Amino acid sequence: MKELNIRRGLAAVGALVLLNGCAGVQPWDRDVLARPEMQIVSDPVEAAADDHIYFSKEASSGGKGFGGGGCGCN
Amino acid sequence: MQLKNALPAMRQIGTPLAAATCALLGHALPREVQAQELMPWDVDASLLIYSESDGRVRDTSLNARARKELREEKFLDLTLAIDSLTGASPSGAAPASTVQTFTNPSGNAQYSVAARAPALDSSFLDTRTALSATWQTPIKRLSLLSVGMTLSDEYDYTHTGVNAHIARDFNNRNTTLSFGLAIANDSIDPVGGSPVPFAPMLGLGNNTNKRGDQSKDVTDFLVGVTQVLNRHTIVQLNYSLSESDGYLTDPYKILSVVDPLTGNPVAGPVGSGLNRYLFESRPDSREKQSLYGLLKRDFDGNVLEASYRYMTDDWGVDSHTVELRYRWSFGENRYFQPHVRFYQQTAADFYRTVLFNGQPLPAYATADHRLGEFDGLTVGVKYGQATAHGGEWSARVEYYTQTGDPSAGSRVGTLAGLDLYPDLNALIAQFSYKFGKR
Repeated sequence: MKELNIRRGLAAVGALVLLNGCAGVQPWDRDVLARPEMQIVSDPVEAAADDHIYFSKEASSGGKGFGGGGCGCN
Repeated sequence: MQLKNALPAMRQIGTPLAAATCALLGHALPREVQAQELMPWDVDASLLIYSESDGRVRDTSLNARARKELREEKFLDLTLAIDSLTGASPSGAAPASTVQTFTNPSGNAQYSVAARAPALDSSFLDTRTALSATWQTPIKRLSLLSVGMTLSDEYDYTHTGVNAHIARDFNNRNTTLSFGLAIANDSIDPVGGSPVPFAPMLGLGNNTNKRGDQSKDVTDFLVGVTQVLNRHTIVQLNYSLSESDGYLTDPYKILSVVDPLTGNPVAGPVGSGLNRYLFESRPDSREKQSLYGLLKRDFDGNVLEASYRYMTDDWGVDSHTVELRYRWSFGENRYFQPHVRFYQQTAADFYRTVLFNGQPLPAYATADHRLGEFDGLTVGVKYGQATAHGGEWSARVEYYTQTGDPSAGSRVGTLAGLDLYPDLNALIAQFSYKFGKR
């Protein structure tokens, strides 16, 4: 069941790439996407702090990326 | 001092802070860069306070990030985090209807917990320093490579790691595929030594149940795709795999051994004067997989951020995390951002609130609440404002709560009337400042 969920997710990624193969926003239309608050990680310091808190208090971690150093808290 | 007057002084801190971080890392800047006139660093700094109620863990954390363009599109990123931890941490022992006495991890002191009270170890105290350095460079026109190293040090724990990440753009830069790999080696040197799995807690001055240093290796792999959907929308999907091997046990966590009928603690080793508490035991490997999806959408200057993560591991933990943020811009340069995060996890297969006397020991067992079944909820708000100098300050306040369940079958006898999984309530407050370049 878990494997199935993961496979479904990966299939969704593939579909997304294919569907958007010929679509697109031109470079001169990137004004909105270029704004700092539209970046994937718009506040790295806050994101790192949150990752550290939840890694220390929950059994899950990762997903967004990695880095920032280990911790004896878990 | 008024904030307005303090800002020029704070801006001055930016470059020395970056230089200090550099010096701490032992990172010499390339000669050609030294020869150039140094461009200003982009510096973010924050002070965070994480405080749990009932005298539990409190963390005061200073975080700084400095980023500099060394040459065209080549960046160096440095981060520094210093955490000061105090308070009391749950030991894993169950509450009891009588006073309970425990030996400190060091073996040279003892502490007592009142009847019916949660078993908190108040000897918890640590300082953590974490550093990272990442160097990012374009490869040809459409790819971006970054390599980095991470270090962190605590009294009883040291982490060293390296990582590499490559991203390539496709479809007129509307699609980005990325791959990342991180390898870490951590060493654990617990206070008083690392307990033999399932060894009983012993009396004062007796550390014959402890061994020496331990270590673990962690390998993380990540593959992701980022897709621009239209002028206002971007999405990301990541799959990540994490393999840990080595010492994955928490050396300070114990389990209570209770009578299967009365639920009361049973006597520990002869002459120790303690009840029977066993140090926990976890498998020496763990594989975690996760799928993470993110959507960011602009609505006329306001930004919605929605994400979902599914995680599953071979310890039996499955989790779902949903996060929503809405950045509402108003006035010339201000924003207000509510945030909500829902989290839910199942228990690890070997999670046991208590062990029962007279029954054979399982292969592994932990009473660490973080491996139990629980729901987490975070609600918070953030306010930010740009400064006249091109910087920005922001403040956020959040409330985090966990409510969980003891393992099945553990509510026997007197335990039925005790709180076997106390709620966790924590306040998170953070003040951040991005230094302007002007």
